[in-house]
Amino acid sequence: MTKQETILDKMQKIDRRILYWVLFIGLMIPFVSPLGLPVAVTPSTVDLYKELTKVKTGEVIIINLAFGVSAWSECLPATVASTKLLFKQGAKIIFLGVHYDVDLTWAKIKDQVPAFKTLTYGKNYVYLGFYTGGEATVARLATSIRTVFPTDADKKSLDEIEMMKNVNVAKDIKLVLSSDTGDWCDYYIRQWRVPYGTPVGEIGIAMLGSSYMPHYQAGILFGMTVGVRGGAELEKLIGELGEATVTMDSINISHVMAIVAIGLANLGYAATVKRGGK
Amino acid sequence: MSTLLKREVVYLITGVVAVTMFIDFFFFPKGWDVASTLQTWAMIIGNIALGLGAVRLLLFYGKQVQKRTVGVWHYSVWLIVYFFICLITGLAGYITLGHQDKNPIYYWNFTNVYTPLGQALYAMTGFYIFSAAYRAFRARNIDAALLLIAGCFTLLTNAPIGEVIWVQIPVIGRWFLDIGQVPGMRTFMIAGAFGLLAYGFRALLGKEKGFYAEVGGQ
Repeated sequence: MTKQETILDKMQKIDRRILYWVLFIGLMIPFVSPLGLPVAVTPSTVDLYKELTKVKTGEVIIINLAFGVSAWSECLPATVASTKLLFKQGAKIIFLGVHYDVDLTWAKIKDQVPAFKTLTYGKNYVYLGFYTGGEATVARLATSIRTVFPTDADKKSLDEIEMMKNVNVAKDIKLVLSSDTGDWCDYYIRQWRVPYGTPVGEIGIAMLGSSYMPHYQAGILFGMTVGVRGGAELEKLIGELGEATVTMDSINISHVMAIVAIGLANLGYAATVKRGGK
Repeated sequence: MSTLLKREVVYLITGVVAVTMFIDFFFFPKGWDVASTLQTWAMIIGNIALGLGAVRLLLFYGKQVQKRTVGVWHYSVWLIVYFFICLITGLAGYITLGHQDKNPIYYWNFTNVYTPLGQALYAMTGFYIFSAAYRAFRARNIDAALLLIAGCFTLLTNAPIGEVIWVQIPVIGRWFLDIGQVPGMRTFMIAGAFGLLAYGFRALLGKEKGFYAEVGGQ
């Protein structure tokens, strides 16, 4: 005689389609009724913020866009917040990127940072465009930016761009901010931070938090933001709430639902084991 | 191809490049021109690899179409068609307007097809992870139970709602993130670095047969 399935047994075997629908509906809740819970700021984000506020007028910063459009939700908010802050500090920013879709990311950043409308291209910021070649290229950038980028993305010679006139090697750069989904920050640590002492900060997807924590704790990275949460923290610190803060509602709902689902499955599993099942 | 070209020349190039980079790193703090030139070459090779990748992609998917691989070939046709749409519109924009993005067809494709697809794919992983966590996170033994507890605290620490549920959740979660996992990650990194160093020396001394044999096609 076969045993009849109890509710506890069923709790372990919920169809994945039901899970998807429950999550989908759950993620709709913030659209109807935003939660708006406060976000506590972590020390790594505070350190990143503090270092960026130390940048003085006229100092040149590199922002390395090492994420594609698929990671906009995780990396873009913190990159946008950092750009806003750096422009407020009067920094001059060099943007460059390693994804073939970097032009889209660049367009999105320009769209989200109002300061671009008042600042002058070539004087306050420059966009060099896409580069490839991995760590060797990052090493070459440290010794000669002009070898990698003789021109900007619009084919204008770097020598004709005002803010680039005395900028060509690592020592001309105040700090590097790498916004990553992969290991490009490692390249900047190895090729800029270690040999030339250029401070490097990281804006990473959530997964990279654990990878870069040892670097941050050792003082190799001056600070880092982790995932959407890091973006929301930075938005809070600069006092301009944006996309990441809104997204935190979805993070709250999805994380709690994941915990509930895991809890249900384990409750069912524990009951089965207690009855002598496997 | 003779053995000389297959193996000896590869040995020589690898050795010369490795020694040059060592000398540059340890003896030329401001950079050595020879090493810089090699880095430039590596960069150029990296760019050539992009073109090579495109050719390989077309060859691979072209074969799928040619063989009419069941359930795959029609997607391959679509990929090839789209590849050429992007290539032609991009080149047209570059040649006539100075930049590929200035061609409205190319730009429309990227902003209205590529971007939403990319973001949708990334977002879908959230659903898979949710389902996978439900299936995999079972406290079957003490190790799994510990992993489960750490995972739950980390999840709730990352979400501000964790603090609302219990004020100590972020404190415990941060311990896992800032202290608990760091020794393990450091061990991985240091062991990986030593492994890479050993591999580099073996490759340099010609003892890493896998690397050379692959290059030599043996």
